[in-house]
Amino acid sequence: MSATAGQGGSGAGAAAGAHRGMSEHGSAHGGKGTETAPYERVFKGERLARLEWLFTKYPTKQACLLPALWLVQEARGWISEPAIGEVAEVLDLTPAYVKGVVTFYTMYHTHPVGRHFIQVCTTSPCNICGAEDVMKALLRETGCGDLGATSPDGRFTVIEVECLGACGFATPILVDDDFIEGVTPEKVSGILQRYQ
Amino acid sequence: MGYPHPSHPKENPVLSKHFGDPEARTYDGWVKRGGYEGLKKILRLTPEAVIEEIKTSGLRGRGGAGFPTGLKWSLMPKADGRPHYLVCNADESEPGTFKDREIMRWTPHGLLEGCAIAAYAIGAERCYIYIRGEFTDPYKIMDQAVEEATARGALGDNAFGSGKRIEVILHRGAGAYICGEETAMLNSIEGKRGNPRIKPPYPAQAGLFGMPTTINNVETLAAVPHVVMRGGEWYKGLSLSNPKSTGTKLISVCGHIQRPGNYEVTMGTPMKELIYDMCGGMRPGRTLKAVIPGGSSVPIMSAAEAEDCLLDYEGVVAKGSMLGSAGMIVMDDTTDMVYQIWRLARFYAHESCAQCTQCREGTAWTTRILERILAGKGKQEHFQLLLDLSDNMTGKTICVLSDSCAAPIVSGIQKFRQEFEAYIQGAREPALAAV
Amino acid sequence: MTEELVTVTIDGLQVSVPKGTTIIEAAKQAGILVPHYCYHPSLPSPAVCRMCLVEVEKAPKLMPACVTAVAEGQVVRVDSEKAKKAREGVLELLLINHPLDCPICDQAGECELQDYVFQEGRAGTRYSEYAKRFSPVEDFGPDVLYVPNRCILCTRCVRFMEDVAEDPVLNVSDRGDRAYIGISSEQLLDHPWAGNVVDLCPVGSLISKDFLHKARAWELDKTASVCPGCTQGCNITIDTRDDIVVRLRPRPNLEVNRHFICDYGRMNYRWLNRGDRIEAPLVRDGGHHVATDWDTALDRLGQLIRGTSGSAVILATGRASTESLGLVRRMLDRISVTAVVQVPSGEEAPLAAVPNLALRAERTPNVTGAELVGYGSDWTAGLLELASAGLVIVLDAELSQSDLNFIAQSPASVVLLGTIFPEELRNADLVLPITTMAEENGSYVNRDRRIQRYNQAKSQPGMARPAWWVAGEAIAGPGPSASAPATAAEAFELLGERWPVFAATSYDDMGFTGRVLMEPAIASGGSKSARVGTL
Repeated sequence: MSATAGQGGSGAGAAAGAHRGMSEHGSAHGGKGTETAPYERVFKGERLARLEWLFTKYPTKQACLLPALWLVQEARGWISEPAIGEVAEVLDLTPAYVKGVVTFYTMYHTHPVGRHFIQVCTTSPCNICGAEDVMKALLRETGCGDLGATSPDGRFTVIEVECLGACGFATPILVDDDFIEGVTPEKVSGILQRYQ
Repeated sequence: MGYPHPSHPKENPVLSKHFGDPEARTYDGWVKRGGYEGLKKILRLTPEAVIEEIKTSGLRGRGGAGFPTGLKWSLMPKADGRPHYLVCNADESEPGTFKDREIMRWTPHGLLEGCAIAAYAIGAERCYIYIRGEFTDPYKIMDQAVEEATARGALGDNAFGSGKRIEVILHRGAGAYICGEETAMLNSIEGKRGNPRIKPPYPAQAGLFGMPTTINNVETLAAVPHVVMRGGEWYKGLSLSNPKSTGTKLISVCGHIQRPGNYEVTMGTPMKELIYDMCGGMRPGRTLKAVIPGGSSVPIMSAAEAEDCLLDYEGVVAKGSMLGSAGMIVMDDTTDMVYQIWRLARFYAHESCAQCTQCREGTAWTTRILERILAGKGKQEHFQLLLDLSDNMTGKTICVLSDSCAAPIVSGIQKFRQEFEAYIQGAREPALAAV
Repeated sequence: MTEELVTVTIDGLQVSVPKGTTIIEAAKQAGILVPHYCYHPSLPSPAVCRMCLVEVEKAPKLMPACVTAVAEGQVVRVDSEKAKKAREGVLELLLINHPLDCPICDQAGECELQDYVFQEGRAGTRYSEYAKRFSPVEDFGPDVLYVPNRCILCTRCVRFMEDVAEDPVLNVSDRGDRAYIGISSEQLLDHPWAGNVVDLCPVGSLISKDFLHKARAWELDKTASVCPGCTQGCNITIDTRDDIVVRLRPRPNLEVNRHFICDYGRMNYRWLNRGDRIEAPLVRDGGHHVATDWDTALDRLGQLIRGTSGSAVILATGRASTESLGLVRRMLDRISVTAVVQVPSGEEAPLAAVPNLALRAERTPNVTGAELVGYGSDWTAGLLELASAGLVIVLDAELSQSDLNFIAQSPASVVLLGTIFPEELRNADLVLPITTMAEENGSYVNRDRRIQRYNQAKSQPGMARPAWWVAGEAIAGPGPSASAPATAAEAFELLGERWPVFAATSYDDMGFTGRVLMEPAIASGGSKSARVGTL
């Protein structure tokens, strides 16, 4: 059964010309993450208590989905398939449903990323203030090379994101949870040194 | 104040008076600065009286739509046993806009007070503040403020001993511009994909969890305590041009400007004064080329239009654009308009939720066409194609994200056609590698 | 309580509908189809495809007809320039990433994208300079393949699984033009009703492995029928090509199965295509059978019936039509008869959100019909009667080894009215070839006493005839007779003579959606569900 003979880049259908829609450069999506060690549950002890506290703040368990996913990502750095299964279980949802939600929101990682995750805004207000130069400097200084790739030493992953809501302080970046304003190419290496 | 710059005399610092003042963040610091008096005051009034005051003030939604706030609150049904909800929209993701972040990180208690007053007025006991996931510092600051306010009795089961219950819950977003659309936000809080809903039913009838809900922007709610304390008439009086636009507006000025920041101006202030006086004008040797006044989802204004424009809802409409969220992106003559329009189209294509055909496919296709133009492969037919697509993407979808993608394209071709022509005719070097 | 009616004008035609009706449904009443994809009368409406936008006088924007309720005096234009341009726009956008798969796509010929593009799409593409979005085909489970390239994201499949089957195993994944229908890696689309997503899919994105590349839609002959899988009586369409059943699909009936059938019924059609059929009437002559003509065979049948001393037993399949069951029963009127119908059983599988719709435990279609004409469902009781019977009529029942043993040990003469001739019945006195339900007209009565007609979908093999015809001829006797039914409708009339419950309706009256028969307390004659039917 043939797949599709797309028009236009048909030969490229399976190769470089293809794209899964407009792939955002270096999105932290795509690809199945793999867990090699047996899966250890996230929701026990303190985190389970936190989840149970969340249940009191919303009338449905389903509404606790986004907060629960944040708890998983805080614990493990990313959200794996078994973790999706666990979240589904504790919230009485199906894994498919949870996965549909996880893939909608760009801040949830579905595969492991570097120890430090860097998001740089390149939308127009920052773009006209040199954001792309900051992005290039970050890719160079971290050793990542490409957006979405993790540096060889596992230290950094850099992605390009949309407006971070600090347009007057161009160019802002997020390193993990640290929101750093006014980044220029010159400041990049100094900033990176703070993150081992 | 034009935070982070010193306040300019032509500003009218109401919400921004304490930007940059770390003490204002604390409960005591805020009370010292007059905070929570408004809440105490309204707890002795009826909700109807509070709504009347807001109606008198002429306060309009500051998130972009400009819908009269008092009217919005009055659309909530009378008490019928169903829980009412207040949702505070702190998802600020409109390119060019960065005011709500400042309100949250400098005057968190001001926002909480506004939320509490609004919740009381609409009969809600629970208020969810939806903070975008990237706002890590504002989240921490707001979290701290909620804890403090609850510990000190301003929020909780018995707000200031009134017997009324007002609970504020912070809900963290996870990276989706579309969740700033009010019904998408409701879906996101409910633990779903952030898809906008069809209206009707309107949130006031069936909103969060199917219950009557009001959604207000951060800036709108932050203005509420001031209206309550100083009176609706006072707020109404803050109007330099059109009486339908009252109060002050935080304008987030960014881009090619000497002093980018948030400037609080009285409605009706001339844009020229903002750009040249308050913000210090262009960088040395540069001239103004274009202004996108309301966040990127509004038509681009030419320099001439901007310099003749008054900053209120009607004034900007008169010049062919919209005040929107007042995220003002200033572009000087070094700007490659085609490149920036492409970058904006790419933004919308990335953020489309995928429900409506026109948005899902149209935003991506327009982005691709603009890429080809920038790569030196543009054709004359692309003009008509872009305009056709923009027409298809306007007024035909569940929400206005696709209209927002069309706006810069249509206005860009209309006012900066020669820049497109330069790429198409090969007069300008391609800005992108061939795709 | 009378409903409040609202009158609207759609494309110049005035129509009055209950308050709250959507424009798209009101238009149907006026005979106007509003083009649409994501809307479906059995699913909640999300109004996402934007195909159904219509022009409503005085409304500032085009309104989605699937979620906009009619208002008194409203004037709606489906064929206005603006609405047509909007549809053309949607179609163009759907096609930009849609592959030119028509030559290899199963949906061709019954594809709603083809249909609307042909009707009002652009003649050429303006997207020729770019690569189309590409993802490989995915296997979703037992019968369903997902071809993401063809998907138009109408989300009917997701909504069916979530809201109708209440088993949210499909999702929309990712965002923007990267979105696709996802399934979690640990789950399969194996819900007992999951096959409906293939029918719901307007294009060839969700396709059936069973039907893959089997036939072209325009080669198919389509016949209205009733599913013979269980007592639910879902309405189906039998698709045949060159006289072979290639597919079963649901036929809408809002009272019985709405728009759905279960996978068990859907996949259970191969038995209708069996080639090893009895080709001619066979009379036993000594140790072997001799093929003969119907006149001779019917004579022999008459002899056997008249010559029966003692009682008779009918062992019937539950797949036999009401007409066949009834007339075979009447054929033995002068004898003491024990008639039983075979009811195989299986697990019940309801379709969660549709009331009174399930794959039933009784896996045969006409138990109620059989009971109404005097059959019981206690199979064992029937077998026990064989020990002292003089005649046994096997009406196409699927006989187990134990059943065959009972028959072998019985002194009774054996008459087989069947489709297949089992080896173990080689001592049968008379073997008469009959048609399957796909080869005849007939009726079934479902578990809710709804009698529904099914129609002939393929030709009768060899000399096979419907069992009701055989019995009708036997009842009428030799020679031409006005009373022998020539059609199923006439056979049905004969039922009404004997069992008044059927007299209240007719084939015309049953139409395509059937008729609910009155309760036994009101009707006279016809036993209430007896365990063992006797005269």
